[in-house]
Amino acid sequence: METLLKKLLNIPWLSIALTIVLSSVFFYFMIQNSEMETNLDKYMPQDHPAFVYSDQAEEWFGINDGIIVAIENKKGIYNPATIDTLKQLTKVLQKMAEIEKSDVTSLYTADNIVGDEDGMDVKRFFKRVPTSGEKLNELQQNVRNNEMVYGRLVSTDETVTVIIAEIRDDVFTQEFYNEILELVDSFQTEDIKIHVAGRPIVEGTMALLGPADMKRMVPIVLLVITIVLYLMLRSVRSTLLTMSVVFFSTLWSFGLMAMVNIPIYAVSTMIPVMLIAIGVADGIHLYSHLHLFQRKHPEAGKKEAVLDMIKNMWSPVVITSITTAVGFISLLTSQVYPIKYFGVFTAFGVLVAMILSLIIIPSGIMIFGLPKLKKENKKKKTNNSTFYQSFALKVVRYKKVSIIATAVIIILSIFGMQKLWINSSFLDKFESDSEIVLTDQFINSHFGGTTSLNLILDAEGEKDVFKNPDVLKLVDKMQNQLENDLEVVGTSFSLADYINRMNKVMNADDEAFNTIPDSQDMVAQYLLLYEMSGDPENLDKVVDYDYEKLNVTFQLKSDNSKAINSALAIIDTYENEFSEMGISMKYAGSGYKGLIFTDLILEGQIMSLILSIIIVIILLSFMFKNIKAGIIGAVPILITALISFGVMGFLDIPLSTTTALLSSIAIGIGIDYAVHFLEQYRMNAKKTGDIELTAQKTMAHSGRAILFNAIVVIAGFLVLLFSVFPPNRELGALVSLNMFTSFVGTLTIMLVLLNLSKLYFNKSK
Amino acid sequence: MKILKITSILVAVIIASGINSQLQSQELTGRDIVEKVYNLPTGEDQISNLTMTLINKSGKERIRKIKQFSKDMGDVEKSIMFFQSPADVKNTSFMSWTYDDESKSDDQWIYLPALKKTKRISSDSKSDYFMGSDFTYDDLGDRKLDDDTHELTGEETINGIDYYVVKSTPKDEEYMYTRTKTWIRKDNFIGLKKEFYDEDEELLKVLKIKMFEEISGFLVITSSEMENVQKNHRTTMVLSNVEVNTNISSSKFSERMMARGM
Repeated sequence: METLLKKLLNIPWLSIALTIVLSSVFFYFMIQNSEMETNLDKYMPQDHPAFVYSDQAEEWFGINDGIIVAIENKKGIYNPATIDTLKQLTKVLQKMAEIEKSDVTSLYTADNIVGDEDGMDVKRFFKRVPTSGEKLNELQQNVRNNEMVYGRLVSTDETVTVIIAEIRDDVFTQEFYNEILELVDSFQTEDIKIHVAGRPIVEGTMALLGPADMKRMVPIVLLVITIVLYLMLRSVRSTLLTMSVVFFSTLWSFGLMAMVNIPIYAVSTMIPVMLIAIGVADGIHLYSHLHLFQRKHPEAGKKEAVLDMIKNMWSPVVITSITTAVGFISLLTSQVYPIKYFGVFTAFGVLVAMILSLIIIPSGIMIFGLPKLKKENKKKKTNNSTFYQSFALKVVRYKKVSIIATAVIIILSIFGMQKLWINSSFLDKFESDSEIVLTDQFINSHFGGTTSLNLILDAEGEKDVFKNPDVLKLVDKMQNQLENDLEVVGTSFSLADYINRMNKVMNADDEAFNTIPDSQDMVAQYLLLYEMSGDPENLDKVVDYDYEKLNVTFQLKSDNSKAINSALAIIDTYENEFSEMGISMKYAGSGYKGLIFTDLILEGQIMSLILSIIIVIILLSFMFKNIKAGIIGAVPILITALISFGVMGFLDIPLSTTTALLSSIAIGIGIDYAVHFLEQYRMNAKKTGDIELTAQKTMAHSGRAILFNAIVVIAGFLVLLFSVFPPNRELGALVSLNMFTSFVGTLTIMLVLLNLSKLYFNKSK
Repeated sequence: MKILKITSILVAVIIASGINSQLQSQELTGRDIVEKVYNLPTGEDQISNLTMTLINKSGKERIRKIKQFSKDMGDVEKSIMFFQSPADVKNTSFMSWTYDDESKSDDQWIYLPALKKTKRISSDSKSDYFMGSDFTYDDLGDRKLDDDTHELTGEETINGIDYYVVKSTPKDEEYMYTRTKTWIRKDNFIGLKKEFYDEDEELLKVLKIKMFEEISGFLVITSSEMENVQKNHRTTMVLSNVEVNTNISSSKFSERMMARGM
């Protein structure tokens, strides 16, 4: 390796030219073939049993998420203008290419089934827009008397009415959303306000906003890092060479991704972030070594300096890169494909950064010459050296401070981790005062809820089970309990609601008959009657053809995991009773899938975290030929991960798809610091044979480089705090925190442990 | 309810098929052809067993067996149907009176044996599908000749049989179909196949007549299938034991008879 690198030094132009040619090839593929994948369903592992079942159920019952268009008139909706808006908007939505006509529901499309002494009347609520006061009053009364629409399509305060348009998951695009917004806008007047919400909007906007924000922020991050890097390295050339490593490695990653036809997922937009954080480290450590060498040997030529740099630094650069790559490759244990890809391509990028650092930086120095060290800096640097040395001495002499502090932090972190929770919510990823969140709150405050949870009751092939009154009564009871006991469950809907309604209608609209009748034949006859007089397609959404599967829909006012789990907890208490009737319970729908998906991601994260820590310990033990070194080297990572999770617990930042990925960064970066420090420590130990001197020298060399590295990356990531997308902000803050704790942990507790363990000094004793 | 008219375009009479049709065919307009279809005599009354099978996209079936009676009483047409199976709806009956006077809406009643009550049903949705099937009430014959404009678009010969191809466009722009295309046999004016196009001008449904039989001198279509190609849902209707002109008593069509059963 070393000889190969040295040979390359003789052909610096060729090395750089070759790099640029290869980069151009990757760039070409990236331009030609890159595709952004925004459909969140594509993220889900399609073969996971929960998803397979949910997809099937969605097919059986036509379960689709709906766009909710809410028409608000503070003066009340029962006036010709508002009702006309409702009608016109319903019709326009029905005609849109993305929406099936029969999938649009509003007061205009709904049937009003009413009963009297004589019989039953099925009518539209209105066809022509009522203009007279009398007709408007009649409409108002009809709505109030019909539980199937009152509180569902019209708010109980009668100031809002909604149109629900179901669309398939893959239909949503930014253009479609804009089209809807423009459409809605054209209907707004001084009195009539129109709001658009619903999961497709939330999902779609999120899938677009996150990456778009990343695209905007990454260049700024790069710029800030470049500036800070310049302040550290004091050389334009060195800065540009280091940044070109980062730039090319990112290019290669995305180029390779395009070459093998893997689309860019939302998580993939974090790859540049990772490579920036990790890629600059190689350059910083190389230059740091070079500077020290130059200072010691001011008369040395560039070739001599570069040779010394390669000789001393190639192995820590390779070791850090391999350990980091292993950390990312461990993400292959995840069941979620975009995360696997993220792991693989980041690992690839890390290795590219390693190779390029070892080729471009030496070649660059050979071509452009050594960076000039400013004279005035020299004195400062010497002062600095003494600063690092005295710091090292203090750390080694006051070991208890580090140990106690670490212990306290670990305890606090573990305490904080207890509060950590997982959130699959999409809505929580938006600003709490953003339009999308406010609209959602508005609709939730007037209606049942914007998030639906589907419970699928399955009699496993036994026909007509869901005509059985006992079964329907239990379903009805369960629905009532959830609606009454849980604030977060607004409304629920199932076959039981139809039967209740038919029973009431056929008994002269007597409220006492708003129940499930006792006879199964009666249920069957009501159903037949509904098929003959109502819209039979409505029934297909709640029960299957053979009455052996039932879909119960719960409307929730929040999509966060706590809310969904609270509903699941109550529903699950019915499991025994249903199971005695031969009925199994399963769930479906996007809210539930999101919940499972988040669990999967976390499970994968925790698995990969544990796995990569084990691998890192083994690798380090192997590389430093000492198991103690492996364990000590892993300490800063462990502390970083603990603090990261602990802080999230204390600050109530839930684990989500974005924040969970942070553990990979913690390892990727933490390990770099530890390896560089360990390597230097070993060399110094060999050279000096003095335990305190070794600590001092290592601190002056690696400690300084690590400090530089931490400052550069922290500065870069703090930029993300200005992101408009909250998950990206959290990411910025937490990466910065991770860098800081890794840095502090390596220079304090790891040094203390090294000192205590007498590693590399055992033989002399 | 229009079970008699399941077939108003389907039921045709031999007598009408005719001597003069072949000669006049050149001059017939689309409207003339459809008028002949609409005006085919159907007999005074009819009794039959109807088996209606609904088949959904996963291939699951709902089979309903119905005994039906219908009678044309001049300005009003009355029909009554008794469900035979499935068992849980047995003896449920349904009666409808349809008036020639367009301004007068249908009268409908249902008798539910579990409730032991006859109830009047009123429904203003004419386009609605009949009992969850792929036939709408209009498809089953409630449509009037001049609700559409008819245009003869061509003539085709399929398997040696000559057809008129007629395009019918509803005058009401809001109607659920934008147009239909019907293949009408030149020899007996039976519409043997019909395509329905939705508001996006896309094919929505296809009606196929699978069998017609001569019964008491009348041609009765005894097997037909309607397929909704967009929803992948099908309905077949098969008539058996068809009797025409048996002089059913007018008193058969009453609320009392509904409750009493056949």
